[in-house]
Amino acid sequence: MNPVILSARGLEYSYPGGIVALSGLDLEVSRGRKLALLGANGCGKTTLLLHLNGTLKPSRGQVLLDGAGAGYGRQALNVWRNTVGLVLQEPDDQLFSATVEQDVSFGPLNQGLPEAVVRARVAESLETLRIAALAERPTHSLSFGQKKRVAIAGVLAMRPEVLILDEPTAGLDPQGVAHLLSALEQLCLAGTTLVFSTHDVDLAYGWADDVAILGQGLVVCQGEALATLADAERLRAAHLRTPTLLALAVALGFGGGPEDPQPPPRTPAALIARLQSAKAAPTARCPRSPHAFKA
Amino acid sequence: MLAIDRHAWTNRWRRHHPGEHLLLAGGGLVLALTLPPLTAGPLLCLLMAGATVVGAAVPMRAFLGVMALPTGFMLTSAPFLALSLDLRDGLHLSCSPAGATLALEVTLRSLGALSCLAFLALTTPVAELVPWLRRLGVPAAVVEIALLIYRLIFIFAERALAGQQAQAARQGYSTRPRSLKSLGLLIATLFQRALERARRLEVGLAARGYVGELRVLTPERPLSRRRLAGIGGLLLAVALGSVLLDRGLA
Ligand SMILES: Nc1ncnc2c1ncn2[C@@H]1O[C@H](COP(=O)(O)OP(=O)(O)O)[C@@H](O)[C@H]1O
Ligand SMILES: [Mg+2]
Repeated sequence: MNPVILSARGLEYSYPGGIVALSGLDLEVSRGRKLALLGANGCGKTTLLLHLNGTLKPSRGQVLLDGAGAGYGRQALNVWRNTVGLVLQEPDDQLFSATVEQDVSFGPLNQGLPEAVVRARVAESLETLRIAALAERPTHSLSFGQKKRVAIAGVLAMRPEVLILDEPTAGLDPQGVAHLLSALEQLCLAGTTLVFSTHDVDLAYGWADDVAILGQGLVVCQGEALATLADAERLRAAHLRTPTLLALAVALGFGGGPEDPQPPPRTPAALIARLQSAKAAPTARCPRSPHAFKA
Repeated sequence: MLAIDRHAWTNRWRRHHPGEHLLLAGGGLVLALTLPPLTAGPLLCLLMAGATVVGAAVPMRAFLGVMALPTGFMLTSAPFLALSLDLRDGLHLSCSPAGATLALEVTLRSLGALSCLAFLALTTPVAELVPWLRRLGVPAAVVEIALLIYRLIFIFAERALAGQQAQAARQGYSTRPRSLKSLGLLIATLFQRALERARRLEVGLAARGYVGELRVLTPERPLSRRRLAGIGGLLLAVALGSVLLDRGLA
């Protein structure tokens, strides 16, 4: 099995009016991992995602599915969209049906599945996102966070191998974010590859396995989350900043490195645990000066 | 509109087969149009109010609210029905007993028919009803458009309200000419937004394999023989009662 499930090579794309959105972009999505596309507003994240499911066709370059160049004919697009599911940023752009259950059934019915299977899939997706209680509600009566989860359930019901989400946490309250992430985590554990765009460096640091930093229509760098996000210079150049937790960890001497083999903590709880164990045994470590790390 | 919709999907009978609601409302309509209106009109109003308020547990206020506006129209126009204009020698405006009876009959017949529609609107979610249009032979494209419009009405109303509030907050409606201008701008913006939204909706649908047909599951609703029999019985009772009472009156 190809470890790279989806990749882009040299993608170029301009919107009408000569607005260059992608200028020779390369990207690799590893199977079974969570990839964050990190970039400032307007840097081309949404445009890239629309290329990854074949909605937009690049003027140059290509998208590869499982190592093979993806086609744009009707048949090829069908296969592509069964493999790669896309959830738009604005749920109202995606929900068209009168009720939740009906909306979620749309994708699997298009896949030609029999009605009984579709009903099971709908129930399962709603269950995964913990919105089974909303099944019969009209879509227009839902809160933003609920709509967002219904939109995700609608794509999930098609059981894509790669689930792409455009700014999944934008507009959600902290609890909404927590619920969403735990549902997505569960999917990832079940083997679904996740790709999501965000400008939230803290989210990328806390949750993604891999990070690709986008700037001006290009992937500036891509790699494991920790390695990518430790490069403060590059983040600044992309109009981003160092994740708060990482900056704190480095300032406190938990930033990893020769004298401290443990990687820096990825969650507040992990940082607190490290602090407490350091306090209990105040031997080797002395906090570095905050200036040692340019945040 | 929004209140009706809310009752439609929260009432106690929302999970009943929509065919049952259609039978009661449709049967009632037929009775309203065929039976003697002086007795059938009020009986139907009573039956539909009972079904809506007692059966489906929709507040009486909602039922009366739906009935109020058309009833108002009817009551204001009824007096004119009672009058008759005679132009044969000069202008004669008269009110005959026959004219008055006619006005009363038209009003009661209309109220009876309206109560049936009020019952249907308040107890049956659009999402349940519209798929049935398809089974009744309405083309799929029309049904799809109807459902899309239903969904978009709410998004559109929300945006229109928010836009208007934002304009008002910036003194967009402080004078009459300014109000007109603001309203024009709002409508132009909403139109443009609607087009953009349609484009993005298409992207979202395509991502889920849309190939020209908006197919979704219709909820599974078993027809209840008991309820069907009950509805038939009630309609029959109204028909008999109306005819007998009418004989009694005559
Ligand atoms: N429909 C469009 N028409 C013209 N330009 C667009 C359109 N959509 C996006 N752009 C432009 O393309 C660039 C990238 O946009 P986008 O991919 O939406 O960025 P992001 O999702 O990262 O915020 C921006 O400069 C934006 O203004
Ligand atoms: Mg975007």
